[in-house]
Amino acid sequence: MPRKHIKSIREMTKWERSRNSMAGRSFRVTMMGQAILGIVALIIGMGLYSYALMGQCIGEAFTLARSSAAIISDTMEPEKLAGAVMTLYHDMSPEELETVGTDAYRARFSYLENREDYQFLMAILQEFYRSSDVDDIYVAMYDRDTSAVVYIADPAEEEETGCSMGDWDRVSVKEVEKFLTWDGEGRVYNVSNTPQYGWLCTSGVPLTDAAGETVCFVMADIAMRDVVHGLASFLLQYVIALVIVIFLLTYILIARMKKTLVQPINDIAEAAQNYARDKKAGLSATDHFSALNIHSGDEIENLSLIMADMERDLTDFESNLTRVTAEKERIGTELALATRIQAHMLPNIFPAFPERTEFDIYASMTPAKEVGGDFYDFFLIDDDRLALVMADVSGKGVPAALFMMASKILVKNYAMSGLSPSKVLNAVNAQICANNREEMFVTVWLGILDIASGKLTAANAGHEYPVLKQPDGSFELVKDRHGFVIGGLAEARYSEYELQMAPGAKLFLYTDGVAEATDESEELFGTQRMLEALRSAEDGTPKEILQTVDAAVEAFVGEALQFDDLTMLCIHYIGKNATEGGTSVKEMTVEATVENIEAVTEFVNAELEALNCPLKAQMQIDVAIDELFGNIAHYAYHPETGPATVRVEVEQEPLAVIITFIDNGMPYDPLATEEPDVTLSAEERKIGGLGVFLVKKTMDDVSYEYKNGQNILRIRKNM
Amino acid sequence: MTITKTVDDKSLTLALEGRLDTATAPELDAELQSSLDGVETLILDLEKLQYMSSAGLRILLLTQKRMMKQGQMKVLHVGETIMEIFEVTGFSEILTIE
Repeated sequence: MPRKHIKSIREMTKWERSRNSMAGRSFRVTMMGQAILGIVALIIGMGLYSYALMGQCIGEAFTLARSSAAIISDTMEPEKLAGAVMTLYHDMSPEELETVGTDAYRARFSYLENREDYQFLMAILQEFYRSSDVDDIYVAMYDRDTSAVVYIADPAEEEETGCSMGDWDRVSVKEVEKFLTWDGEGRVYNVSNTPQYGWLCTSGVPLTDAAGETVCFVMADIAMRDVVHGLASFLLQYVIALVIVIFLLTYILIARMKKTLVQPINDIAEAAQNYARDKKAGLSATDHFSALNIHSGDEIENLSLIMADMERDLTDFESNLTRVTAEKERIGTELALATRIQAHMLPNIFPAFPERTEFDIYASMTPAKEVGGDFYDFFLIDDDRLALVMADVSGKGVPAALFMMASKILVKNYAMSGLSPSKVLNAVNAQICANNREEMFVTVWLGILDIASGKLTAANAGHEYPVLKQPDGSFELVKDRHGFVIGGLAEARYSEYELQMAPGAKLFLYTDGVAEATDESEELFGTQRMLEALRSAEDGTPKEILQTVDAAVEAFVGEALQFDDLTMLCIHYIGKNATEGGTSVKEMTVEATVENIEAVTEFVNAELEALNCPLKAQMQIDVAIDELFGNIAHYAYHPETGPATVRVEVEQEPLAVIITFIDNGMPYDPLATEEPDVTLSAEERKIGGLGVFLVKKTMDDVSYEYKNGQNILRIRKNM
Repeated sequence: MTITKTVDDKSLTLALEGRLDTATAPELDAELQSSLDGVETLILDLEKLQYMSSAGLRILLLTQKRMMKQGQMKVLHVGETIMEIFEVTGFSEILTIE
C-alpha cells in the first residue's frame, strides 16, 4: 500500500508554516480569555452601577419629598386644602368622576385655586421643582373608596405630564400600600415602569393634621431615564477601555512570548535545518546547535543544550563510522585479493596437460566464504608419475586459507622430492606439528599414479574415502585405511596402499562439502546421493562428471545457504595403450570466437598427424572445423561470446576420428536447414547453407542433439 | 593466406596461397572490393591454395555474379581437394575452371 505523502517543512510556504504559530494561537486564546473576563466584569459593573444610580435616585426623591413635607407642615395647614379638594371629589357622582381631564371637570375646582394656602403650597412646590432634578413634585391624596390618587397641587400642571387639581389616577392598593403604612423609618419608594413616564422612581411622605391623621402625601417622581443614559455611556466607555486594555495586555504578552519562547524555538528549528543541509552536503563537523545562544533557563534552554550534545555525539559517531567503514573496505579488498591469490594457487586451466593422452583430469572448487580451506592439487612429479591431492583444512575464512597455503606447498614440495605418499604425509605432519600453536589441522588424501602402469599408491590422513570406477564397474567407495589428521599429533605415522587403475578407470576425490551439503530441512546430501550422481554420469568426461555432481548438490540444497566449500577432482585414466586399442579422448574448451578457429584446428590436426591421417581427409576435417566452429563463433552466443568445447575421439578397428562440438548457446540444429540446390546457375544461387552441406558431403556421419542446455554436434570421419 | 596480385591492363590476376576459410575470407573480400573496378578479366590462381571453406565459396559466388556483368572470371590450377568441393557444391558448373 503506498504511503501517504507527508509534506516536509521545507516544501511548505511561509504562510503554511506560520498558520499554527504559537504566537497566533496564544493571541487568540488570550484575547478570548480577556474578552470573557471583560464581559463578566461588565455585567457585574453594570449591576453595581445601576444599583448605585437607582439608590441615588431613590435617595434624592425621598429627600425632596421629606424636605418639602417638612416645610409644608411648618408653614401651613395642608389639611384644609386637602379637605376642600377631597370634599369636592367625594361630592361628585361616579359619572361626573369619569369626566376627569375635561374643562368642565376642572372648572369645579377652579375656585379653590384662588385660595391663599393653595397659592402658597404651589410656590413651595414650584421652588423645589425648579431647583432640583426632580421630574415632578406634587401633593396628592389617596381615596380608598374609589382606589384613586387625587391630585391636589402639581407645579408641572402646565406641562404635558402634569395634572390639575382634582384630577385622579386609578391605582391598585398594592402600589400605594407602602406609602400608607410607612412608619417614618427608612426610605419609602416605588420603582415602576409606566407607559406614560417610562421607568419611574416615586417616593412619598405623608402630611398629617394635628390629630396625626394622614391628610395627603408629598410625592416626588424621578424618571430613571438618566440612569439608563448613564448606563449607556458607562457601557461605551467601559467597552472602549476594555478593548484597549485587552489589546495592550495581549500585545505585551505576545511580544514577551515571542522573545522568550517563539524566537528560541525558531532558532533551534533553523539550526536543525542548517544541520540537515550541511549533513546532506557531506560536512561532518558542524556547530549549529552548539552555537545557539539560548539562556531562557527553562525547558527550551534544556532542549537547545540536549541538541548541542546530540550534535557533538553524532559528529563523534560519524568520524568513528567513517574510520570503521574505511577499515572494512580495506579488509574487503584484501579478502578479494586473497581469494584471487588462493584461486590461482590451484591448477585451474583445463586441459591441464594437453600433451598427455594417458589421462584426462578435471577439478573444481566453489568456496562457501570469500576464502576457504579446501584445496585440490595435481602435478607431474616426473614424466611417469602424477600426484593427486585432495585436502580440507579445519575452520574457515582467512586462518583456514593461510593454513591451506602452507599445507599445499609442503605437500607439493615433499611429493616433488620423490618421496612415497606415506613418507610425504609423515614429513608434512612433522613440519606442521612443529609450528602449530593454533592447533589447526588438515585432512589430506594423497595419491601418486604411475602413468604407464595405472598403479596408484595412496595415503589417507583422515580424509574422505575416494571413489573409484573400474572400466567394467560402477563408482564405488574405496574404504581405505585412515591415518590421523595432519597437524593433530606429531607422532602420527601414515601407511600407504595400492590400487590398480585399468585403462578407462575413473577416480573421484572430494571434500566433506559434497557429502555434508545440507538442504533447507537440515538433511545431508550424503555419500549415497553422491554415488548416485556419479553413476548417472559415469560414461562422461571428468568435467561432465563434476558438473553432474555439482548440479545434483545444487538441486538438493535449493535455497539453503552452503556452509562448506565444494571441492572435487576426477581423473579418467586412459593408459598408454589406449591409442593402440579402444578409444582415446581429448578435448579443449576455448572461447567461441573466429580467432580461435586456428587454435582448434591445430589441436585437432595434432591428433590427426599422430594417426598418419591422409592429407585429403585432414583437409576435409579442417574445412568441417572451420564451418562448424565458425557457426558457433558467429551465432551461438550472439551478440555475446561464450565457451565452446571440441572433443576428439579416435576409435580403433576400424580407425575413425569423431569430433564433437559442444556449446551452451541458443539451441540450433544446423542439420535441419534446407540443403542448397547445387544445380542452379550463378545468378540463381543463394549464399548460405553451403558450409553445413559441405560438411555433410565430406564426413561419414554427422549428428546433432540438444541435451542439458548444450548443442552437441558430432562428426565422424573414417580413415 | 597470401594474395599475390598481378595487373595487366584490364586483366587482374590474384594468386592465392594458404587457406581460404572463415578467418582469411575477409582479406580476399577486401582485396576484391578495392581492385575490381574496371577489371574485365579476373583470374584466380588456386595452385597454392590448401583448402577452401564455405566462406571462400561465398566470395567466389559473389565475385562470379559481379564479373558476369563487367567481363569474365576464370579459375586456374584447381587442385584435387578443392575440385571435389567445387563438384559437391555445384560450383564446378558455375565457375569457368581452366
